[in-house]
Amino acid sequence: METGLAQVISLSPARHRDDVLTGAGLLPVLPALRELLPGGLQRGSVVTSGGWGLLSLSLAAGAVADGAWCAIVGVPAAGLRAAAQAGLEPDRLLLVAEPGPGWAQVVASLLDGFDIVLLRPPGQPSAQLRRKLEAAARRYGSVLLVAGDWPGAQSRLLVTDAEWTGIGLGHGRLRARKAQVIASGRGAGERPRLAWLWLPGPDGAVTAAAAPAGVAVAGPQGDYAGAAEPLASSG
Amino acid sequence: MTGQATSRRVLVLRCPDWLDRDSVGGDSVGARAFESVVAIVGEFCPQVEVLRPGICAIGTRGPARYFGGEAELARKLTEAVGRGGFACQAGVADGLFAAGLAARAGPAGLLVRPGETPEFLAGLPVYALDMPELCELLPRLGIETLGQLAALPPAEAASRFGPPGKLASRLARGLDPRPLIPRRPAADLSVQLEFDPPAEQSEPVIFAAKALADQMHDRLAAAGLACVRVQVQVRCADGQELSRLWRHDGLLSALAVAERVRWQLDGWRGAAGITLLRLVPDQLVRATGRQLALWGDSVPSDRVARAAIRVQAMLGHDRVTRPVLAGGRRPAEQVLLVPFGDAAVPQRPAGQPWPGQVPPPAPATVFGVPLPASVADDSGNEVTVSGRAQPSAPPASLAVAGRPASTVIAWAGPWPVTERWWDPRHARRQARFQLVTEDGAAWLAALQDGRWLIEARYD
Repeated sequence: METGLAQVISLSPARHRDDVLTGAGLLPVLPALRELLPGGLQRGSVVTSGGWGLLSLSLAAGAVADGAWCAIVGVPAAGLRAAAQAGLEPDRLLLVAEPGPGWAQVVASLLDGFDIVLLRPPGQPSAQLRRKLEAAARRYGSVLLVAGDWPGAQSRLLVTDAEWTGIGLGHGRLRARKAQVIASGRGAGERPRLAWLWLPGPDGAVTAAAAPAGVAVAGPQGDYAGAAEPLASSG
Repeated sequence: MTGQATSRRVLVLRCPDWLDRDSVGGDSVGARAFESVVAIVGEFCPQVEVLRPGICAIGTRGPARYFGGEAELARKLTEAVGRGGFACQAGVADGLFAAGLAARAGPAGLLVRPGETPEFLAGLPVYALDMPELCELLPRLGIETLGQLAALPPAEAASRFGPPGKLASRLARGLDPRPLIPRRPAADLSVQLEFDPPAEQSEPVIFAAKALADQMHDRLAAAGLACVRVQVQVRCADGQELSRLWRHDGLLSALAVAERVRWQLDGWRGAAGITLLRLVPDQLVRATGRQLALWGDSVPSDRVARAAIRVQAMLGHDRVTRPVLAGGRRPAEQVLLVPFGDAAVPQRPAGQPWPGQVPPPAPATVFGVPLPASVADDSGNEVTVSGRAQPSAPPASLAVAGRPASTVIAWAGPWPVTERWWDPRHARRQARFQLVTEDGAAWLAALQDGRWLIEARYD
């Protein structure tokens, strides 16, 4: 499998280097994520988002809305209605739900063609495999978004705290989830960035939220709690 | 042009067994079995056009004369297919679009008499067009039926709604989607390959089919044409010949054509090796860019298409898909997966209101096959729901797929859902709940036939 991957990579010349050099080095992200990823997603980089979830989908949404194509690999249960509500147009999505044992080769092939490959790797890929895929992303100027762990990632985003609103004990319904997301870079000097997001808001969109901090959640972001109090909380 | 000429009479045979699948077009096992239905239809009329597994069409002019009228033809045909062990519906009308709708119009289908097709179409909702963007837009403008759409001047429909509007207007008026080019220069555009010695295995033939299809597409493109259908002819060393028509619409990739050749060969147990493969483009129309645009899709660039096709070559045609949002009440029903390169035709339009649909926000994880679960109350008894939609006790703990139970800290429901009560095979009664567990996860759970299922996770 490893040799097959090497072949795929060496067969395709670095056709898209020009794009990378001529200032197309960043893919846009949703406005709500700009604080976490200033400028957007760096082409040729690896970005992780913890496990699979709406955060993974919303990371790709801004670029896809801007005309980029995204392939989702290894997530048979991807909620595509949620993706659409978060702004990820199904029109420019490709799904490879079961990439099989040759998944790395599949990802390498997709990186040469798709601007974003959103991958949930099966198990823990070896360091050698990771390096090859990182090299493929660099060569083709695409972004590898990983829903999982990836030690060499340039940026890591993580939901560190979340609470659902709108639902009580036997009344209401799930309306919105307010989540704290922390982004950290690989550089030692870089400070982690923190933002509160509606992940998702009541219409499924991902927008900026005010920090809870004991104050009433109202004002421009609106209060989605309805009658019920915020309930669920995770650490 | 030939635009105003009435469409030819068409009979569409529809086998619900294949069409109730959640994914359209791609299932090669389904396609294989459907070949036996096509073989039965082929005894009535050799020119069978397979639209996709589950639906095929024949022109009725010749066979109706032979079998004593269209009604008699439809009756004999459905009986023969029924004897073969397959449920089916037959619809007859002017043109393929109307015939397809006529087949769905009643339990056994419907015969629309010649010239009455516009009246038949007039009463149908615009959702019947299966063009998601238009179907959402038109009702907002007060155009709710095909009749109202047909009443718009065609030029106006074309200028207001672009190419999809032009297509929709033609369909609503009972015309063929695009005027056919009357002469048939098909012979010079066909491509073929001889196998010497005869190919004993199907793989090399399928491989050759991809190259041939590329060649055919190049020739069509050079002539500024697209084909509505492609005829795949296979000849054996013993002189036997098997020919099938497949719907193309300028939409199939070379790989998708090769996949159809595979279906055709799989369904056919020819004794001798294969000596000839020929692809004949049928019913030529002027190419208006990639026809994908007609379905409101984004057109993939060559670079994207090349990557997708390369992965299809590794994994198989139908394991690389594009999602199409469709209607439905269960989250898993709301998305159809269409193999890359195939046309997207949702059967349950997304624009329709689906009472009982789970309200937004939608869950980010949707289990195609719901996970078994157990929901218990404070004293450890499984929670049930009465006929009057009252839970036996508040849910207190949730265990998903055999994992340890976690405490439920918030819940809502039950919302009763009764689906398709008119269809005993698909009828479903559920009581839905949303549950939030102490680890912060939120779940869409359903109690159905006394069993708890997890349909989706909000994460």
